[in-house]
Amino acid sequence: MRPDVLALILAVGASSWAFRALPFRLDLSGLSPEGRLGRLLAATGPAAIAALFVASALPMLGQGAPLWGGSLAVLAVWYARRSVVLATLAGALAYGLISAMPGW
Amino acid sequence: MTANTSPATFLQGLGAAVPVALGYVPIAFSFGVAAAQAGFSLVEATAFSLIIYSGAAQFLAVTLLAGGAPLLVSAFTLIAMGVRHLAYGPALMRAAGGSQTRRAWVWAFGLTDEVFGAALGELARGRRFSEPFMLGLGLGAYGAWVSGTVAGALAGGGALAGFPAVEAGLGFMLPALFLALLLSILSRAQLPVIAVAAAVTVALTLAGQPTLALLAGMAAGAVTGALRRSA
Repeated sequence: MRPDVLALILAVGASSWAFRALPFRLDLSGLSPEGRLGRLLAATGPAAIAALFVASALPMLGQGAPLWGGSLAVLAVWYARRSVVLATLAGALAYGLISAMPGW
Repeated sequence: MTANTSPATFLQGLGAAVPVALGYVPIAFSFGVAAAQAGFSLVEATAFSLIIYSGAAQFLAVTLLAGGAPLLVSAFTLIAMGVRHLAYGPALMRAAGGSQTRRAWVWAFGLTDEVFGAALGELARGRRFSEPFMLGLGLGAYGAWVSGTVAGALAGGGALAGFPAVEAGLGFMLPALFLALLLSILSRAQLPVIAVAAAVTVALTLAGQPTLALLAGMAAGAVTGALRRSA
C-alpha cells in the first residue's frame, strides 16, 4: 500500500468517524442553524454533492438518451421510494438498458 | 400499528440491514472495479471501504487521486464532503426520544446516509431504539459494502469487457449516487447553494480545469449558503 494513499484514507476515515460519532458526545446546540458558521456547514454538503454530480455527469452529456433516462429513473424512484440506494440502482439499470438498445 | 415495547435487538438490526446490504453490494462492486481501473491495488481498494466507508467520498477519492490532484487538496475536499453527517446524530436522537448512546462511538461509524435513513424508517414504524440494534444494522450494511468492494477489485477493470451494458450501467453508478444523495438533502433553502455550486463547476470544467472546478464549485456553494439572508 502506498504511504500517501494510506495517509489520505486514514485522515478521511478519521473525519468520517468523527462527523458521525461526535454529535452524540458533544453538545452542538450552540451552533445556531441561523449563525454564519451553522449556515456554512449546512451548505457544504449540498454544495459538494451538487458539484460532484455536475462533474461526474458533464462528460456523459454527449451520450444523450442514456444520461437523461438514467437521471429520470433516479428522480422517479427517489420520489416513489425515498431510498438513495434504490434510486441509484434504478438509474444505473436504466442507463445500462438504454445503452444496450440498438443504435446506442 | 402498535409500537414494540422492548428495545430492538442486534439480530433485528441485522435483519433491518438486509435491504440496505442488497443495494450496497452492486454499488460497492462498481467502486471496486473503478478503483482497480484507476490503478489501486486490492488492499488499497479494500482499505478505502474498510476505513472511510462512504461511497461518495470513496468514488471522489479515486477520481481525485487518479487525476493527480494534490494530496492535501484531496483530503480537504473529502473531509468537507463528510460534514453533512454531523446532522445525522442529533436527528436520530430526536427520533429515538433521547435514548442512551454511551457506545455511539462504536456504532456511529456505520451511520451512512442509507443506514441513517433505514434507522429513521424503523423508528417511525414503532421499533424501539437500542444500541445493539444500531450495531446490527450498521454491521450488516458494512459487511456488504466491504465484500462488494473486494469482489469488484478482484474482478478488476477488464472483468466486464464482455458485458458492455453492465459496464455502462456501472459507469453511471457514480452520477446516479450523487443525484440521489442530492435529492435526499434537497430543501428550498439550499437551492441557491446548489445552483451556484453547479454553475461554477460547469464553467470551470468547460474552461478545462476539472479539479479546480470541483473545489471552486463546492467553496462557492458553501459561501453562498453562509451569506444567504435568514428566512
